[in-house]
Amino acid sequence: MKRLSLVLLALIVIVPAVGAQGDVVTVTWWMEPSGSDDHVQELIIDVFNASHDNIKIDYQPQESINDQLRPALQAGVGPDIVWLAGNAAASQYVAGGFLLPLTGYADAYGWADKLLPWAYGAGIVAGELYSIPVTYESMVLFYNKTVFEENGWEVPTTADELWSLAQQTADMGLVPFPYGNATWQPSNEHLMGIYLNNYAGPDNVYAALTGEKAWTDSEFAEATDLLREHIADLGWFGGSLEDYYSLGGSDNTAMLASGEGTMMMSGTWMFRGLGPAFEETGMEWDWAPLPLFSEDADMQVGPYSYDLALGGNLGVNAATEHPEEVGVVLDFLLSDKARILELASTTGFGEWVIPLRYEIEDFPPGTDERVLRFHSDFAATTGAGRYGYTAWTFWPARANQQLWEAIELVWAGEMSVEEYLENHAAEWAQDAADGLVLSILPRE
Amino acid sequence: MAFKIDSRVGVTTAYRWRNILSNYIFLAPVVALNLIVIVIPSLTSIYISMNKWSGLNQPEFVGLANFERLINDPIYWKSLSHNVIWTIFFLTIPVFMGLMGAFLLSGIKRFQMVYRVAFFIPYVIASVVNTELWRTLLHPRHGIGAWLAKQGIEGFDIRVFGSKHTALYGVAFVDSWHFWGFLVIVYLAAMYQVQPDLYEVAILEGASRFQRFRHVTVPGIRPTLVFTLLMIMIWSVPAFDYIYLLTDGGPAHASEVLGTYLYNMSFFRFEVGYAAAIGVTMALITACIVAIFVILRRRGWEI
Repeated sequence: MKRLSLVLLALIVIVPAVGAQGDVVTVTWWMEPSGSDDHVQELIIDVFNASHDNIKIDYQPQESINDQLRPALQAGVGPDIVWLAGNAAASQYVAGGFLLPLTGYADAYGWADKLLPWAYGAGIVAGELYSIPVTYESMVLFYNKTVFEENGWEVPTTADELWSLAQQTADMGLVPFPYGNATWQPSNEHLMGIYLNNYAGPDNVYAALTGEKAWTDSEFAEATDLLREHIADLGWFGGSLEDYYSLGGSDNTAMLASGEGTMMMSGTWMFRGLGPAFEETGMEWDWAPLPLFSEDADMQVGPYSYDLALGGNLGVNAATEHPEEVGVVLDFLLSDKARILELASTTGFGEWVIPLRYEIEDFPPGTDERVLRFHSDFAATTGAGRYGYTAWTFWPARANQQLWEAIELVWAGEMSVEEYLENHAAEWAQDAADGLVLSILPRE
Repeated sequence: MAFKIDSRVGVTTAYRWRNILSNYIFLAPVVALNLIVIVIPSLTSIYISMNKWSGLNQPEFVGLANFERLINDPIYWKSLSHNVIWTIFFLTIPVFMGLMGAFLLSGIKRFQMVYRVAFFIPYVIASVVNTELWRTLLHPRHGIGAWLAKQGIEGFDIRVFGSKHTALYGVAFVDSWHFWGFLVIVYLAAMYQVQPDLYEVAILEGASRFQRFRHVTVPGIRPTLVFTLLMIMIWSVPAFDYIYLLTDGGPAHASEVLGTYLYNMSFFRFEVGYAAAIGVTMALITACIVAIFVILRRRGWEI
């Protein structure tokens, strides 16, 4: 009897202990495939799983994630952590009540001190933080350094110099700006954003974003018409408007790397693809800030500025059964700058540059000088208040889609610039009426 | 004797009822499945089309407002007109090629299977592969046209998918390239059902090959031909994949069709209610096409 009691006592003590050890929570994470998923698995997921006994991450890259996420969340079977295609998409999910407010985590873990203020602020909807950014980007002027040196060209620092060089290269039979939207139609917004910010000026764009200025104002009309002239009349992008519609991402890079094209207005995600393309041709690339396109003093914020951009966000499914564990996972992402920069380095710093408060010393040894120069200058320039706004980060969904889609009607001569901007203002008003205009931090 | 007959009739009737009942029982799973995957979503779509709904937020009932918006939406009408062009294109070019291919194949014995396989292969290749293949072949800088231009042969280096004048036809060409081989196989199978005697009589009467095709083959395969025409018209309403993959409806909506317009409304603009309204009109168009065929059939058309 005594022996039986001892056995029972042992079972009472041991069984719960075994159960507690086996009580592992799995946090599922859906992510847009990025071509870096093996590195994410190795550098983030495996490291996390090895260092946490009771939480495991199940990382699942999902093809066509935009199409899958909505029905999954509606059906209540979505993952714990969700990838969102930008702030506009996040705000739609927030409106539907599908995302968990993250303000509690942010306060507990001090995320506001870890993330860049503008990037942290971009995840706020109606006073609550709902998402954290995956990577930050900006728009710059890439150029073929070899071709520039061979021709004795200086890097343009003013609009006059830029347009003059574009015309000169076009006259030589080269493509001034190799670019096309064949593989991603919304690429139009890259150019629209650049022209709105660099011609009308970031202050005016901010005023329009916050409802203090009309999208139909002359600065925006002139900016839109300037792009129309460059892309449709002069054929500077891709070589002609029809080429622009026929060329995709790899074509653009190949043209710049071969010297067939000379400059490219694009995002810093290009850091990833330029290296391999230029290695093939044996030429060299470099980048410079895009000059402002207008000399109107009212529009100037300095010699140049950088447009703020985020490439995707992470949110938390409101129906998650593991909110505490999800918070631990997200904080793990935001807590080790060296680990994130190591991951970003596998993409040439084109992806996975979570907007943490990096110092230049944080970047791993051997980081490309051009990448370091960008991050250093971006921090200094935006820190001085010289920054603009990209459409996919700061525009609500409907107005954003109209911005990049209807502009093709303007380029085709089927719609006037005025009508296009009137429609844009109407779309914006509709988004505002539905409470979907995104909150933006006041300009410093 | 009379009792026996009555009894036999009774048995027959009971057997018939049992037979009918068992038919319904066997059909029940299919009916249930269709209810779940077709009828219920269809009814839900009709309801959604009368709401303002992002697909995520609380739906707001707006009656017929989405349909009123459709009437005044120039892109909707442009898309619809492209569906009409798409349908006409597929009712003519692939059908003509399919008929010709099948007729020519029916006249040969050696290597016929090789040709059949060759014609049919594009049909079984994924649309993603087909579109990438043609995007490369028609690439403005390293495609066939560009190569010919380098050889001094001008006029072929056109931007098929980049020009608003050719984009729709370019995509239709690629889609028909993958589709016409399917029609060849269907028509060839039908042609083998035509009685050989008819051809022999036609030959004895001195009919040429074209006359045999016109007066023997075509009437002989008429039900199959009409069926494929009906299916082409129905399939043209939700045309999507090749357009989405090659042009995404661009440039400047030049190749936009109802399917791509609906998709963009739903997934880029989060206007699921409006997208559902577009979907309802697509269903109505399909219903009209089917109704026309049913009416023609009831009027005695051999279709």
